[in-house]
Amino acid sequence: MGMFLVFGGAGAAMAAPADNGVEGKTFVIGTDTTFAPFEFRENGELTGIDMDLVRAIAEAGGFKVEIRSLGFNAALQALTSNQVDGVIAGMSITDERKQVYDFSEPYFESGIQMAVAKNDDTIKGYEDLKGKTVVAKTGSEGEAYAKSIAGQYGFTVKSLDQSATMYESVKSGSAVAVFDDYPVLAYGVAQNNGLKTVTDKVPGGSYGFAVNKGKNTALLAAFNDGLAKLKADGDYQKILDKYLANPTAAQPTTFLDLLGKSFPALMSGLKNTLLVTIISFAVAMAIGLLAGFMKISHNIVLRGIATTFVNIFRGTPLLLWAFMFYFGLPQLTGQPINIWVAGVLTLSLNSGAYVAEIVRGGIQSVDPGQLEASRSLGLGYGKSMQKVVVPQAFKMMTPSLINQLIIMLKDSSLLLAIGFAELLYQGQQIYAANFRVTETLLIVGVIYFVAVMALTKLANYADRRFNK
Amino acid sequence: MSASPVETQKPAKITVKGLRKSFGANEVLKGIDVEIAEGEVVCVIGPSGSGKSTLLRCLNKLEEISAGHVVVDGFDVTDPKVDINEVRRHVGMVFQHFNLFPHMSVAENIMLAPVELKKATKVEARAQAMKLLDRVGLKEKADARPASLSGGQKQRVAIARALAMNPGIMLFDEATSALDPEMVGEVLQVIRDLATEGMTMVLVTHEMGFAKEIGDRVIFMDAGVVCESGRPDELFGNPQQERTKEFLSKVL
Repeated sequence: MGMFLVFGGAGAAMAAPADNGVEGKTFVIGTDTTFAPFEFRENGELTGIDMDLVRAIAEAGGFKVEIRSLGFNAALQALTSNQVDGVIAGMSITDERKQVYDFSEPYFESGIQMAVAKNDDTIKGYEDLKGKTVVAKTGSEGEAYAKSIAGQYGFTVKSLDQSATMYESVKSGSAVAVFDDYPVLAYGVAQNNGLKTVTDKVPGGSYGFAVNKGKNTALLAAFNDGLAKLKADGDYQKILDKYLANPTAAQPTTFLDLLGKSFPALMSGLKNTLLVTIISFAVAMAIGLLAGFMKISHNIVLRGIATTFVNIFRGTPLLLWAFMFYFGLPQLTGQPINIWVAGVLTLSLNSGAYVAEIVRGGIQSVDPGQLEASRSLGLGYGKSMQKVVVPQAFKMMTPSLINQLIIMLKDSSLLLAIGFAELLYQGQQIYAANFRVTETLLIVGVIYFVAVMALTKLANYADRRFNK
Repeated sequence: MSASPVETQKPAKITVKGLRKSFGANEVLKGIDVEIAEGEVVCVIGPSGSGKSTLLRCLNKLEEISAGHVVVDGFDVTDPKVDINEVRRHVGMVFQHFNLFPHMSVAENIMLAPVELKKATKVEARAQAMKLLDRVGLKEKADARPASLSGGQKQRVAIARALAMNPGIMLFDEATSALDPEMVGEVLQVIRDLATEGMTMVLVTHEMGFAKEIGDRVIFMDAGVVCESGRPDELFGNPQQERTKEFLSKVL
């Protein structure tokens, strides 16, 4: 079999007319996190119609794809900033989007349907929505359709980012209905997400694969070629049937089952959370020490730079910088940025501003007589700081620094917004596929709590050990 | 000891000329001229706010000097080219609040400068620290933390620390003011011993009796100027200035 594939591959390569421009290359494809059955995670693996399709097309075209599960909005921003080469995310082809992206041939004909809570017998059609609130996904066809009839039926549309959050809103009663693409609703209902569909589907847009306007033309052509080929040999229908004809995949039933199934993915999330926190904290300490010393410097320029830095990063939200570094910076520089780099920059610059203040406060809390005594012995400023002032300052700073470390560990969860695969992100991925929101969040919460407790104990132990 | 510097013809160890020092708009030293000979013990007295501590702190440039010249052991400390750290190694200083380093043991406090300034290995510095501690009567406290010492013991350690670089000059800034009365004696005894050994010393003090006893010369300062200066028996016994008389009548 292996031999056959090798020969087959070599033969295909030789037979290919010159070069299709994609063969042997690897493309980064952005997608949504939570759009079952098009993309979702099963036992930690990304799966779904979009995923099977894009992988099959890649195989047919002799190229490789690296999937980045970013979330719908984030994936589109990543595409605009050339962080990814293409996006496949159950995305409807619209005129607005055609202005900024180039689309493939449609690969799925979708439609909009409305769903309500399973036990809700009051909403049977659009007429019953008067004065109520419905939810739809930001930027989706469902949102556009709901808004187009909202005036006529007198209801309000609230836009949310994730399918799972939309369904929870309906189940908890903060909204009465959800407008979403029919295959997504059908899949969710089959997974016992607590909803039922009550209206007929409204024929809607078609889904397409998108690349940035004027870019990656070879990739787009290869997608169209591959799609035609899959449709011709029946593989396309097989993929659709796998998810739409019989969508009851094996989902966890008991809490223990859920825990066991989700544990590996959550542990990999925890690993990333801890790693990004530790790296960022080390960088934040370096930045904070530098800026802290600059703040107490006699040089007005250094002091000004440090004060400006601290004011900017204390005065702006962490999340803004995550977006800025991951989506904004690449558009300014034209260079894609690694998500770890963006994550570490975000956390360490924000935390560095707070550490700078802790360092400044710590050093200023040391009796000035200590520095004078050391200087009067003939030790220089640097030596005096190093041997006399800083060791005492650190002792006073330690509790605040430990506090900062714990804040950072928890704040690292905000990086899920740019698709960084940390702990809470992994939790979202899990409940997006199985709709067990409360239990999954509970597990994630316990893991965070244990991690924070362990880190606190470790830091306090180190404090006692080194600051006796 | 009672001979005036002019009579002994010893070279000036410290020369202060036209020294002025301002903190913002507040001028605390308004032109000070003082010469101190080698081996001389000078006590500076005066009411609080008269500038005596500031004068002392200008001698090793713990305060920036606004105008005038201060020459210590041949170094003009007002000259920016002079390495002030080098000058300070020749000038030991003892503070009112001891300023011992709380994160180091007593011996480490004393060893810090010799080791960091590469004047001695750790072993040599430790041996020297033990000698100095013996001299101030605290050998058994070498490995104690400063926090466990009494005020008088702390100040004796501080003196030992100031002596670690073998300075030719010692400055005492109200060294006994923060001490309980019963501990003043032990510190004064150490200072007295240093005077006997011929150390050049400048002491800012409120201990008039002690100033009278060990001072070769007493300087009375008031409002940023030297008001009167002379041998202790003269200054205390027959003050010439009204201001001096008034001050002494209050403190004696």
